[in-house]
Amino acid sequence: MWKFILKRLLLSVVILLFVALIIYTIMRCIPTSYIEKIARERSMQPGSKSFDEWMAQLKAIYSMDTTIFVGFLKWVGSVLRGDFGDSWYYVIPVTEKFGDVIWYSVALNVVTFVLQIFIAIPLGILAARKQYSLTDYTVTVVALVGISLPVFFFATLLKLVFSINLGWFDLYGMVGRYHDQLSPLGKFLDIAKHFVLPTVTITIVSVGSLMRYTRTNMLEVLNSDYIRTARAKGLSERRVINYHAFRNTLIPIVTIIGSSLPGLFSGSMITETLFGIQGIGLISYDAMINGDIPFSMFYMVFMAVLTLLGNLIADILYAVVDPRVRVS
Amino acid sequence: MDNERKNDVSLNSDQRIKVLSPGMLVFKRFVRNRLAIVGVCCIGFMFLFSFLGGFLMPYGEAQVFTTYTEMLNDYAGVSRNTEFRYTLKDGKDFPLVARSQLVLARNNGETTFSSQGVDYSFTEVSETCLEVSAMQRVAEANSFGGSVVISGVDGFTVSAAFESAFTEAIESGADRFELDGVEYIVSGDKRVSGAYSSEPVALASYNVFDFASSSSTNNFDFQIAAETAAGEFDGEGSFEFGGETYMMSPDPDDDEVINITLGGELYAQMSDYIIQPIESDVFISLDMRRLIKECIADGVTTFTWEEDGVESEYSIVRSNDRWTIKRVQDTLVVDKYQFPSAEHPLGTDGNGMDLLTRIMYGGRISLMIGFIVVFIELLLGVILGGIAGYFGRWVDNLIMRIVDVFYCIPATPLLIILGSVMNGMRIDPQLRMIYLMLILGFLGWPSIARLVRGQILSLREQEFMVAAEATGLSVRRRIFRHLIPNVIPQLIVNATMSLGSVILTEATLSFLGIGVKYPFASWGNIINDVSDVYVMTNYLFVWIPAGFCILITVLGFNFIGDGLRDAFDPKMKR
Repeated sequence: MWKFILKRLLLSVVILLFVALIIYTIMRCIPTSYIEKIARERSMQPGSKSFDEWMAQLKAIYSMDTTIFVGFLKWVGSVLRGDFGDSWYYVIPVTEKFGDVIWYSVALNVVTFVLQIFIAIPLGILAARKQYSLTDYTVTVVALVGISLPVFFFATLLKLVFSINLGWFDLYGMVGRYHDQLSPLGKFLDIAKHFVLPTVTITIVSVGSLMRYTRTNMLEVLNSDYIRTARAKGLSERRVINYHAFRNTLIPIVTIIGSSLPGLFSGSMITETLFGIQGIGLISYDAMINGDIPFSMFYMVFMAVLTLLGNLIADILYAVVDPRVRVS
Repeated sequence: MDNERKNDVSLNSDQRIKVLSPGMLVFKRFVRNRLAIVGVCCIGFMFLFSFLGGFLMPYGEAQVFTTYTEMLNDYAGVSRNTEFRYTLKDGKDFPLVARSQLVLARNNGETTFSSQGVDYSFTEVSETCLEVSAMQRVAEANSFGGSVVISGVDGFTVSAAFESAFTEAIESGADRFELDGVEYIVSGDKRVSGAYSSEPVALASYNVFDFASSSSTNNFDFQIAAETAAGEFDGEGSFEFGGETYMMSPDPDDDEVINITLGGELYAQMSDYIIQPIESDVFISLDMRRLIKECIADGVTTFTWEEDGVESEYSIVRSNDRWTIKRVQDTLVVDKYQFPSAEHPLGTDGNGMDLLTRIMYGGRISLMIGFIVVFIELLLGVILGGIAGYFGRWVDNLIMRIVDVFYCIPATPLLIILGSVMNGMRIDPQLRMIYLMLILGFLGWPSIARLVRGQILSLREQEFMVAAEATGLSVRRRIFRHLIPNVIPQLIVNATMSLGSVILTEATLSFLGIGVKYPFASWGNIINDVSDVYVMTNYLFVWIPAGFCILITVLGFNFIGDGLRDAFDPKMKR
């Protein structure tokens, strides 16, 4: 088991290096960059150096004057020392900015995640139990509509109804107008209120896939022999579903939930951007739009780490939860 | 339906012997799925709507609609002249500095001044007009205790007549004298004085001349004649210029305005009103100027004027000493955010384009991008996944590691970065659509490759493959006739589902302004208008239909994919 984990971990590190190299190469090949913009601005100033001189100086400052491979090695070297460089757009160290904003995203995602689990799993099981009933169709349709909804469109609809027509929530932003005058509890509630619409958006858009996953797996379990056996034994339907079937359904569900845990840190770019939540999604979106290479590099590598971590957790959990896998 | 079949199926029924082909079975199962049929209807409708609708609509994808609205446009500015206006003699110059020196000298009661090394003198033509001349020193007179010594300057030869005239002028204190038709100006104090020859350079006048035709313009000689006559004007006057006699008379509507007529026809008007059209190519006729002056003098604020057979309304707005003439004018404007009407069933968008047409063309682009991207994904995924699965060993290892790497590259951030770079480089919209498809396809193939490889790995071990190998079939035949057909069901389901997600991704990118760009329509960039809150709240017809189009299309693909999955995999049926 430990050997397996170690092997997977090492493989992940190798994959990560390659991913980082590819991302670094892409970032370095981008023709119009932030540096060029700054150099152009500065060379426009009266009595300034020429554009080329500024370019050379700035490139040296941002250590962009090396070849791609050497630059990559340098980057890896400083990353190993925990240094991701300074963000060009936010002007403070990347990790500091990241630390400032990540918890907003995590809070948003954790709440939606919990909501998702409590909505998706019961409904999925219900749909599977009554396959091809009206309930099943309703659940399936709701789930598929959720999956098919464009986030930006749904968020705008919510804004229109709840912010503009009903006036319950602010249109944009994370805190209200009088946030600074509120008590600590009031501040918390103020922020919580601003998180309601984003939470609803993400929950509805992403609840569908877990719901369908639960339904499919429950159907598979319900079709298996041991359920037939349990029924044949004369067990009550409740016990068959809640004890025999549900436990077996949990195997894939726990695996998929475990593997999506790292995703809680990834932020939700569109939702955060539309609702003005200063989470990692919005911050990195702004950084990327403005050609902030250190921050983009950090964010993309961070996302890759999350994906790898998710896969790793899935593999490990699968072995932990399902004894049959462990044996083979 | 189930009951009917139960009745049909009896041991001696034909139905029991009838064997359906696997494809037919799948089809039957698919058709029985109500959601799948709804999905097929959605997609069918969207296809007809986008591809046929585009042909049926009379408008083009990027056709801009315009409309006329009545707008008050600034037409002319009017002010009363309170400063000298200068008319230069041909070929002469009277610089700005000298102009202010002139005003200064006049206020100090002097008649000569010098500026930038040139001496000037001026004489009053009339109360409101000055003639300015540049002076050149021709002779100098020094008086020593009663005797005057005169010497020429710059090669000017002093004749006896000049000497006596000059001396006389100095003694009598006159400031000018005339000799042989040339006027000389005397300037200086008792001891040293100079004689200057003078040459007119400019006229400074408070009067403004408006001419009847746009071809006649003011010039020095005309103005000096007119101004001289105006100085002696007492209700009637005349002057000669260029061999013609011009008559002057006060305007019947306004005493301060003097009409100059030539041969009975109104030739010009002299007043202190400055009327300047806002646009340089507009000529305001003299009659209209008269009307404007009259209106201002009477305090009237609106008037109508017919020009070129078109009668327009004008209004006069006063601010301090300025009046602005505004014209009510039909102005051509882009027909923005027009509400739905018979002409435009869904109204027009922010660029004045017909929204229904835009949505149709947007559907074409979205569907086309979806299909092309999925095709690229399938092509790469099936080939690489197939190779990996069939050959196994190091080939499999290599390809799967590449898949792992690609799988880890965060697609959305990368698309955003590349999109904003393309924005920065201003790549041609058509070209960037191709790039978008390539990038999306290139990022999407790993999951397909994984699927194909997994399927092939498990199929390879099954008995029918062993049998196929034992029969001695060629590798190609084994792959294409026996392996691939067994993977296809999964592939079709996967492709249908990813069609939906590709369309969603494209819409999101276009919404963010980094996908399909203007002038091409896309459902995403139609909704982009909501970033303006005013549009979002007041022009629902702009973004709601496009949003539902995306929803219906993606939902349709998901329904079909779901139905296909159930149809291909009868195990799911209880």
